[in-house]
Amino acid sequence: MKKNKIGNLYLWLVFIVLYVPIFYLITYSFNSGKYMHGWKGFSLIHYCQLWADTRMIEIVVDTLIIAFLSSVLATIIGTFGALWINFAKSQLTKNILLNFNSILLVSPDVIIGASFLIFFTAIGLSLGFLSVLLSHIAFSIPIVVLMVLPRLQEMPVTLTEAAEDLGANFWQVLNKVTLPYISSGIMAGFFMALTYSLDDFAVTFFVTGNGFSTLSVEIYSRARQGISLEINALSAIMFIVSLILVFIYYFISRNGNRKRTPGLEATK
Amino acid sequence: MKKGKLFFAVLYVLWLALFVVVPIALLLFQSLTSESGQLTLNNFVSYFSSGTYLRMTFNSIFYAFLITLITLVISYPTAYLLSQLKNRQFWLLLVILPTWINLLLKTYAFIGLLSRDGTANSFIGLFGISPQQLLFTDSSFVLVSSYIEIPFMILPIFNALNEIDRDLVQASRDLGANSWQTLWRLIIPLSMPGVKSGVQSVFIPSLSLFMITRLIGGNRVITLGTAIEELFLTTQNWHMGSTIGVILIIAMVATMVITRERKKSVLRRGGK
Amino acid sequence: MTEETVQPLIEFKNVSLDYGETKVLKKVDLEIEEGKFYTLLGPSGSGKSTILSLISGRLQPTGGDILIEGKNVNSLPSNQRKVNTVFQNYALFPNMNVYDNVAFGPSIKGFSKKKIDQLVKSMLKLVKLDDFSDREISEISGGQQQRVAIARALANQPKVLLLDEPLSALDYKLRKEMQSELRELQQRLGITFIFVTHDQEEALAMSDWIFVINDGKVEQSGSPVDIYDEPINHFVANFIGEANIVPGVMKEDYLVSFAGKDFKNVDAGMRTNERVEVVIRPEDLDIVVPSRGKLQVTIEDQSFRGDSYEITAIDDAGNEWAVQATNPAKIGQRRGLKFDPEDIHIMRLNESEEDFDARLESYEGED
Repeated sequence: MKKNKIGNLYLWLVFIVLYVPIFYLITYSFNSGKYMHGWKGFSLIHYCQLWADTRMIEIVVDTLIIAFLSSVLATIIGTFGALWINFAKSQLTKNILLNFNSILLVSPDVIIGASFLIFFTAIGLSLGFLSVLLSHIAFSIPIVVLMVLPRLQEMPVTLTEAAEDLGANFWQVLNKVTLPYISSGIMAGFFMALTYSLDDFAVTFFVTGNGFSTLSVEIYSRARQGISLEINALSAIMFIVSLILVFIYYFISRNGNRKRTPGLEATK
Repeated sequence: MKKGKLFFAVLYVLWLALFVVVPIALLLFQSLTSESGQLTLNNFVSYFSSGTYLRMTFNSIFYAFLITLITLVISYPTAYLLSQLKNRQFWLLLVILPTWINLLLKTYAFIGLLSRDGTANSFIGLFGISPQQLLFTDSSFVLVSSYIEIPFMILPIFNALNEIDRDLVQASRDLGANSWQTLWRLIIPLSMPGVKSGVQSVFIPSLSLFMITRLIGGNRVITLGTAIEELFLTTQNWHMGSTIGVILIIAMVATMVITRERKKSVLRRGGK
Repeated sequence: MTEETVQPLIEFKNVSLDYGETKVLKKVDLEIEEGKFYTLLGPSGSGKSTILSLISGRLQPTGGDILIEGKNVNSLPSNQRKVNTVFQNYALFPNMNVYDNVAFGPSIKGFSKKKIDQLVKSMLKLVKLDDFSDREISEISGGQQQRVAIARALANQPKVLLLDEPLSALDYKLRKEMQSELRELQQRLGITFIFVTHDQEEALAMSDWIFVINDGKVEQSGSPVDIYDEPINHFVANFIGEANIVPGVMKEDYLVSFAGKDFKNVDAGMRTNERVEVVIRPEDLDIVVPSRGKLQVTIEDQSFRGDSYEITAIDDAGNEWAVQATNPAKIGQRRGLKFDPEDIHIMRLNESEEDFDARLESYEGED
């Protein structure tokens, strides 16, 4: 009993530490004062400022467009990649492909950013929307592959055989049997890609030019100039959005779980 | 059939080539060339003969080690206690949730918390301690990095602990081991794969996090990541930047080799 | 060779399948006719499921020819063959309900909605699942899943239905029920069923014709009665039912010697004094007083089997005999074993199936 109490206390402490900075940030977004200390009373003024900040709104829209486009494309390419890897006959080929696949997952952001910067410069692509989009697609593909592949591997071979036995050709098998079966993996991959894109700072920081900015980069440059409670207001909104995304993701993976998917093993 | 498979391959292989192989090759090439485009080892020579670079590398590794150690010490008990809970999947979700919040926002929060007039100083003020310079120190960098990396350490350890068959624990108790012995001789060894992958996913980013150094650590170049960022984006010396990039890749590969699961050796031990 | 009047539906000619060094099938010949219930019977790993995969086109032979309706189909893909399979674990599509699973084949063929609907409904009725069309696969029992798998395969209106150990996952009672239902279904539809099982009882109960498969070869084929009564060799005798197998010598036609004595029997066509194996089924043996027995034995052991006793006895030559008896016996007692000449089955060593059939014909024709 006593040990349990100490354990619970410890857990509570860890959770408090994990959440204090976040709630601190959100709380001060409602401060009528100008700083992240010294509570001056409740106000929505920083939200109003945020709403009036057209540059910021534009950047939010750009960020969402990049996130959505890159995760859709990464999901398509990643799913194809997973299908292709799964077709590989020898285990050795599979392992080699998987190792190549995970290079971008384990590489530090600065390496990805720096090497992409060299690459884009080498092929003469000017930095901006396109370079950021391509980079986001590139670093999201491997996580999609990792989310889809386990579903493919646990799919019984007899399902494909049964469909072929009943007269389905390659594309019909893919469309009617394989893709529906792995759909929860594809959705999980899409959501992971979405968060990777929304979360990314370092890679974007390297490959974005002067004209184009995403939310992370903007927050970074504003934070370097000091505290602005507008950022707090923004983070409160982003927190709510993240919360919604997490629950959607949780719901999807739980649904998948019913059909025996690997659960919420979030990987970074 | 063949055509279909080929169709899948095209885009993916294109990606593998253009965004995995080529950029890394270009980085390596940059590190081995001079401004005038000549093949040279000069960049590496100047790296190894520069006290500043070597000291910075040593510091970076030391801080990454410290951050990894701190997160491990905090995370292992947390993961263990979580794995004992009834609604553990829900609590785990609460651990994951902060990772979904933009890294920069969390870092930004600490600017407020740690500033001279900030909440942390007011808090220690309650105990009669005069305000300290908390922000822009090396320890604030370690603190904030550890905070950010904790969930990434908890997750793999939790997964490893959660996979341990409850019957094994029962069996250990049945054979007379007390809870400490069970923990020490059964649970910790069985959760080592989780610890290793946790170390991997904390140590490598800790070498390269440059925004935290910039925002919290006081704009000084104290990690490999910051050095690369500075060389690429500020001083525009890509050749030297790539050289440090190669050093960082080597450090990463070394970390992965050290924390790799050696299935064969486990088998051999089991065979005896 | 007899003249071939009817073209077989499916024909295997010298079909082999190797995976590198491993020979899964070794020059298999078989013929499947229309409208019969066939069983491929053999232990696991014998190659019986491989034969099924070859018929359906999931595998291609590495040697020999497979003909369907006289046409070579060696490399015809599985989605273009008029055969359909009921898979061992049913392989029902989890993303579709019962109705959509059954409708899969017809919709692939591009039938009209109305025709599909008719077909699906009649198939579900056939397998007595009319009321289940809206159920999800995860919501129905194993037995019902089995029926959906059958309906799904039949909805494609195949000429041959292949069943790959479909009953192995069901419990004993349900299995018995499905056995007779499958048999009835086959007779009603009049199409060929090829059923794979390792359960000899199942094979004997259901089939018109059995192929006994072992080690990648067809050991023997024939009607259940033939195979039971005249097993060709040690393996078949042992695998189908229980058998007492003792060494013997064929003195002359219709006279065999074993356990130190001579007995009249009904086999012929062998060399004089040929060494053979003698098979007598436990249920063909009766325990009687020693003076009335053809063989004198000592009771070794007995166990109760619900409807009978299984008694083990040892004769004076040291052979062990399993006897299925209605009455118990006393251990250690001297008793006699009684059997009739037609209960004695003779197996020649290493006799091929062709020679075996020819020999049987040669003297049975004399009667």
